[in-house]
Amino acid sequence: MKGGYTGKILRVNLTTKAIGTIDTEKYEEFGGGHGIGSAVFFDLVGDQLPFEAFDPRNLIIMMASPFSGTFMPGSGRCEVQGLGPMLYPIEWFGHSNFGGRFTAQLKFAGWDGIVVEGASDEPVWINIVNDKVTIESAKGIWGMDTWDTQEDISRRVIPSLKYGEWAELAENCHTTQMPAVVCCGPAGENKSRLGCLLHGPGSQAALCGFGGVFGSKKLKAISAIGSKSVPIADPKAFMDARLWFRQFQWNVDNPREAERFGVGGPYSLISGRPSGGNVLNRDIPLTPARAAACASCPRGCRMRLATGDSNESVCAGTMVINVNGSVKFTRQGNDLMQKFGLGHWQLMPLLGYVQALYKEGVLGKGRPIDTNLPLDQSGTFAYAEALLRQIALREGIGNDLAEGCARFAEKIGRYKQDVNSGLLGLVYYGTANHYDPAIEAEWGFGSLLGERDLMLHMMSNYPIHWMAWSGDPYLTAEECAKLYTDAMEPYQGDPFMVDHSEGPTGIYSDSKVKQVAWIKHYEKFWIGAGGFCGWRWPMCITNNTADRRGPTPRAEEKFWNAVCGKNLKFADYMEIGHKIYTLDRSIWVLQGRHRDMEKYPDFIYDRPTMGSDMTMYIDGKWKYDTGKGRKLDRAKVEDFKTRFYKFEGYNPENGYPTRATLEKMNLKKVADALQSKGRLG
Amino acid sequence: MPEDKKAETKEAAAKKQLSRRDFLVTGGTVVAVDALIATTPAKAVAETAVTPSPEAAGPTYPASEGYLVYDSKKCAGCTTCMLGCSLVHYGVQNLSLARIQIMQDSFGKFPNDVKMAPCRQCKAPVCVQSCPTGAAFVDTANGNVRRIDSQKCIGCKTCIKMCPQQPHRPVWVVIDGKGKSSKCDLCLDTPYWNEKGGPGGKQACVETCPMMAIKFVAQMPDQEETEGYDVNLRNDHWLNLGLVDNSTVIPKKNPVWKVGGGEQQ
Repeated sequence: MKGGYTGKILRVNLTTKAIGTIDTEKYEEFGGGHGIGSAVFFDLVGDQLPFEAFDPRNLIIMMASPFSGTFMPGSGRCEVQGLGPMLYPIEWFGHSNFGGRFTAQLKFAGWDGIVVEGASDEPVWINIVNDKVTIESAKGIWGMDTWDTQEDISRRVIPSLKYGEWAELAENCHTTQMPAVVCCGPAGENKSRLGCLLHGPGSQAALCGFGGVFGSKKLKAISAIGSKSVPIADPKAFMDARLWFRQFQWNVDNPREAERFGVGGPYSLISGRPSGGNVLNRDIPLTPARAAACASCPRGCRMRLATGDSNESVCAGTMVINVNGSVKFTRQGNDLMQKFGLGHWQLMPLLGYVQALYKEGVLGKGRPIDTNLPLDQSGTFAYAEALLRQIALREGIGNDLAEGCARFAEKIGRYKQDVNSGLLGLVYYGTANHYDPAIEAEWGFGSLLGERDLMLHMMSNYPIHWMAWSGDPYLTAEECAKLYTDAMEPYQGDPFMVDHSEGPTGIYSDSKVKQVAWIKHYEKFWIGAGGFCGWRWPMCITNNTADRRGPTPRAEEKFWNAVCGKNLKFADYMEIGHKIYTLDRSIWVLQGRHRDMEKYPDFIYDRPTMGSDMTMYIDGKWKYDTGKGRKLDRAKVEDFKTRFYKFEGYNPENGYPTRATLEKMNLKKVADALQSKGRLG
Repeated sequence: MPEDKKAETKEAAAKKQLSRRDFLVTGGTVVAVDALIATTPAKAVAETAVTPSPEAAGPTYPASEGYLVYDSKKCAGCTTCMLGCSLVHYGVQNLSLARIQIMQDSFGKFPNDVKMAPCRQCKAPVCVQSCPTGAAFVDTANGNVRRIDSQKCIGCKTCIKMCPQQPHRPVWVVIDGKGKSSKCDLCLDTPYWNEKGGPGGKQACVETCPMMAIKFVAQMPDQEETEGYDVNLRNDHWLNLGLVDNSTVIPKKNPVWKVGGGEQQ
């Protein structure tokens, strides 16, 4: 391996306390990050599936990418993988990721990733200081909130640590940086399926419930700090690429069309401007703040405030807990969620569901679902605090709510009824409804054919929907369709990939099949294996250049080749993404996945859509339209799936990958495993 | 220095002229950087040669022809500058090798949550004064930049111990198994970059910083002020992002939230 990799993955067994390594080179064909994580998962426990997420056999895999620790823009995410206890009805092999500095420090310590096996008898945390790795007692830390945990562990790692000065990690090893700590909170300790992993004050791996898996392993935290180098195969080319990329960034001193893109509204989230991700600092008087970036991110979508609250939280992390009339209390309420280690995304539908049941008269004090929660004080800090505490500590009704939306609804006997009616908006394996699958069909299909909500906004959602929604799109619908799909190698040249009409070239078309495949392949390679941020990549179009062309697909291959010393094309890497997706799908099949499970709940089909601004080709013309009132067609969705499976090389009858497809991808052992279970496509 | 870096191109020469005028774009207008600095607590000191203060008696050193000033309120803490620095000098990415250090406390309160620490190219460079072998020197052939010659460095760490700044600006690196000091050379010697550095050239940290929070200037910042290098590089475009350093500041364009929908008119 010429560059990008450190060459070894840390392997820690919490049952035996054994600490070992896995050679990264063995898995280089999977790229990095998610790709390597999936391959390691299959190799270590694939033959034992199915088992449950809280089984000690489950793994926590936390992978960096070749870009982690480098200045590749927007590539600092840490990919977390394992069986996800939040997912429903089967705890699918899932993934979630978080930003911040963790993967950078992991790489500087000399590691490409971490694989945690087994479960400890006593609470522990893992201490990584360069090559030195120890399993430490979490006595005195277990029970702490996530913020105190990180502070306490930082002091334990470097007792002489003083912010703003050099510290000696070992002989000849110095750093001015703080240890990067990721941990679970009380929610995770109590095996809540809503438990997230938190790094820093607001960087969550929110989906899948990996905080609960940490708790089940009695693993409180992992800390990483290092002083080593990330090798770069072609440093000059990498530097040139980074400087070339500046044209796509928001120019903070002289932004292009500042009057149009530099103020509020949807553009504040999609223009690439700093800050804007924290939705709680928009009213005059503003709280003094800086734009705060994850490692190597040129955007800095987050904020750190003079008040120190809601630091580094964005989007759902700043808006789940809404305390009426008080920005201060709202920030503090959301911080409480972070401190308890509760995942924001799935907390949102749960809070709504509790309110709906209360209003229906079913849930409340003395009601059939009895609780002492002060539901009559909804919208107050007191209510938020009580609710979050009960869920995190499994007190009272919190013991059931900690099981997550789907399992709570199942326990009270209303899952089928409430999900199909839409009262409980769970659409993708227990994860919440997000963008409308009847309009933004690629979001829906991309989620349904995965294991949870897609959560990738740059896959036409931000660039197209939010641009149109602004009321001031910088491209006509026709220009947008052409430019956007020009970037979608190897399927470029087919503008109908972003036709969101219900016509013959629209959401059920073969063009849409290609777009969904492109999304899954991009998701698995660039986002997953490359550690890209889903708020930044892909960039098919942008407001920051004169011709509105984004850096995709030129940037991806330019950066990867410079760092890793390869000479491949964008399309070659996308095919690796196809391979990773096929491997993931094979693992789901081993867990019991069948095409019959890949269905939306009834309300998605039966309820007329509210509409969503998107590019549509209607009556021979491109336009932005909402499609309001349309309904998704069951038979056409099934027909779409059939064509998608064929396109990807899977058996359309069941969605299982075929031997021919797997062997073509050098995955013969996966084909053998599927065959042994009678599930080869 | 590689041969290709020795030849000064027309482009570099033009850039040199421009940089000596030290223009900054602020709020759509162009102002001289010394005027901008003069608005900060640290006044610009225009000297071409300086004498150390009486309490720092010693040889006289010609002033460096270049300095890095920065805006710690504008920094986003991405550490791109550090990685750019280590890349162009060593061909790897490593925060510990970076000659500019950015430190941050994620749980801290703005503006004290970030500290920026580039070398100050001091008027009276203690690292040069104290070096027992002459490895730390003033490069009179290259704009009087304070540098360290790694061939002469014996790894005694005197420069590190004597540096009055916290964190100390000389950086300890291990080269071929031997520990040595290194320090910012304003990118004079960057074997892994296709650009000319030093005064009149480009600096990796300046070029890579996405927030434009680091600036090369020719005028010496005030040496007496602790924060003399920490200047205001923000203009109205920055304020319009809703990023103020004082709650009484009201951006000209309030960050309002409104949506429309539909085809462009």
